[in-house]
This record gives sequence, structure tokens and C-alpha cells, in this order.
Amino acid sequence: MAEPTELRPGRWVDGTLPVNAQVGSESIITGDRAFKRFRSQQAPALIIGSHCTLEDVGFALGEQGKVTIGEYCYLSGVQLLCEMELTIGNYVMIGWNTTIADTDFHPIAPADRIADAVAVSPLGNGRPRPPIVRRPVIIEDDVWIGPNVTILKGVRIGSGAFIEAGTLVTRDVQPHSRLMGNPAQVIGEV
Amino acid sequence: MGIQRTLPWDWYPGAIPDNVELDETAYVETTHSFVPCRSTMPVAVKLGRGASAYNDTVFDLGPQGRVRFGEYTLAVGVRFICDAEITIGDYTMMSWNVVLMDTYRIALEPNHRRQELEGFARSEPRQFVTTAPAKPIRIGANVWIGFDVCILPGVTIGEGAIIGARSVVKDDVAPYAVVAGNPARVIRYLETKEPVHGD
Repeated sequence: MAEPTELRPGRWVDGTLPVNAQVGSESIITGDRAFKRFRSQQAPALIIGSHCTLEDVGFALGEQGKVTIGEYCYLSGVQLLCEMELTIGNYVMIGWNTTIADTDFHPIAPADRIADAVAVSPLGNGRPRPPIVRRPVIIEDDVWIGPNVTILKGVRIGSGAFIEAGTLVTRDVQPHSRLMGNPAQVIGEV
Repeated sequence: MGIQRTLPWDWYPGAIPDNVELDETAYVETTHSFVPCRSTMPVAVKLGRGASAYNDTVFDLGPQGRVRFGEYTLAVGVRFICDAEITIGDYTMMSWNVVLMDTYRIALEPNHRRQELEGFARSEPRQFVTTAPAKPIRIGANVWIGFDVCILPGVTIGEGAIIGARSVVKDDVAPYAVVAGNPARVIRYLETKEPVHGD
């Protein structure tokens, strides 16, 4: 196949990219709700490499959220919930309706949860929220993640790993291992 | 050919592809369901008498993909990822966010997968050309599939079975079995086919 003479700049098909998003050449973002919940104040907040296809991905980044995605990735219908840092390598494929979150969203301790509920309520008046556990998520190169998967905070998924549909991942995944289940179990190697 | 089949109630400005065969009593909520359908088979999707495909049901079919609904088969927001064949029996009900995939759509071996992802990124419009094998899925009659369930390639589910919500099914399910969990395990059997105890 002939190489295109000129690479086209990365684009969001259904709107104008936020100023703090950098999208590499030949990368496409589709979906009119892609940036509905994008609140990051980081500069840059979103770095996407070249040749990616991001269909109906939700970039739900909090004010301090930072997401980095490598080259040749394909994500379809994925929700990226990021309050801290999410790093995705090259040649990563993530299936439909998968959720990745680097935060617990709310505190665990009951009293803190009451304080949080008040802070985020219409009566919160800008009251500060209690501390909430956040830990970066890292997904290395060549990882395949199926549909309906959930990946929670602090997880590192090693290169070439294969996460079956519907898996719940709460712990690190060794490179080239094949996981399935809730809780996730190693069922083989790739 | 020639006459565009549109749906009067459709929110999406599309048409039903020529190779989708709908019984006159079947119901499709929106032609948006067929946007990712790339099947070149003479009959890509077939819905029998009284069958229906509601709201976000998606027929994501590759060139050889075929999906068959029986009679009174009900799909409410189901995603069919199909490069070979997915057959659903009569009276079977499928809930929201259910995924039936007869293929992983991409080579398992990482270097091979890189080549396929590079080819995908260069295609216009972007479409996967893959050597990944597809293994047909067969769902019997009168099966009930709960929400968020994933059915993996090659699975056969017997008549009358129940698949609990959020199950992931990688192995075949016997007729009248009730399975749940991830991976799915048998919880019990329904009375119609109660196995004989004490072997």
C-alpha cells in the first residue's frame, strides 16, 4: 500500500478539541460526547500519539487528570475516568463498554463519605472534599482488553497481556498473561 | 434493490440494508443498529416472526458475518460482534449491554496484531482486516440472558438455560442449566431437565 504523502493532523470528528489536548497525526476521535466530562486544567491534559482510532470514548478527566495514549491504539466505547494519571502504551486495543478508573471517586470511611456527600451536594458551596484515594493506571504496549472489562486504580497491565471480556482487574497483570473472571484469574499465557 | 427501507419511528436517518431480512411482524427500533454491519453475505441478519431488536442493539458484522434470530426472539441493547455466525433460538430473551462475540477480531500474537492495527489505521474508512479465527455461537430456544453478560467465541447454550446477569460464558451451557458468575458456573438445573442424582 502506498504511504500517504502527507499525514493529516489528529482531529475530533464531532467538535473542536480542548486547547490542552494534543492529538497526533492520522488519529481520529469520534462521538459527540467525547469531552462532555473533560474538566482537566493540566497543560497538556491529554496526549494521543499518531494513528489512533478512539470511537465513542468518554474522556472524563478531573481537574488534575492527565491521560497519555501511544500510537496505533484502538478504543471503542471506553470510559476513561481519570483524576490523576492514566498511561496507555502503543498498539493497545480496548473493547466496548470497558471502564478504566484511577480513583475511588469517594472516600471509604463512613464519616468522610458523609462529608463528601455534603461537599458535592447543591448545599456544598465550594466546601473542600475529603481526601480520596487515587493511584495511576498504566497499560503497557500490545495489551488487548475485551468488552465489559473494569480496570481499577493503581493497576499496571504488563505488555502483551490479554484481558478477556467482562474481567474485573484490581491488581497488577504480568506481561503476556491471559486473564479472566471476577476476581481476575490467570488462565494462560499469550 | 431500489426501494429504500426506512422506519417511520426511526431517530436515525438511515435505511435497512438490502441484505437484512425482516419478517413483516418483526420490529427494529432504529437503523442505527446496522451502521457497523459490513457483511456481504446474501442474508446478513435475519429476524423471524415476532422477533425484535430494541434501542442500542448493534450488528457489528464482518464481511462473512451472519446473525439469525428465531421467532419471538428479543434483544434489548445487545452487541453482536460477528465474523462467522451467531444463531439465536425462538423465544430467547437478551438484556442490555450483552455482548455476543464469535471472534476476537484481531490476531492473538502481538507482532501479528501490530500489523493488523497498522493496516486498520491506514484503511479508509477504518476497517479491520484480520486473520483471527471466528467460531460460531449457538443459543438455543427459550434461553434468558441477563444484563452485561459476555458470550465468548464458540459457545453453545442449550434450550431453556438461564444466564445470570454479568456472567461471562466461555464454555458450553447444558439445556435448562442456570449459570452465573465470571467465569460462569452451573448453579442448578431447571425442573424440566432435572438431572438424576446419585450416580
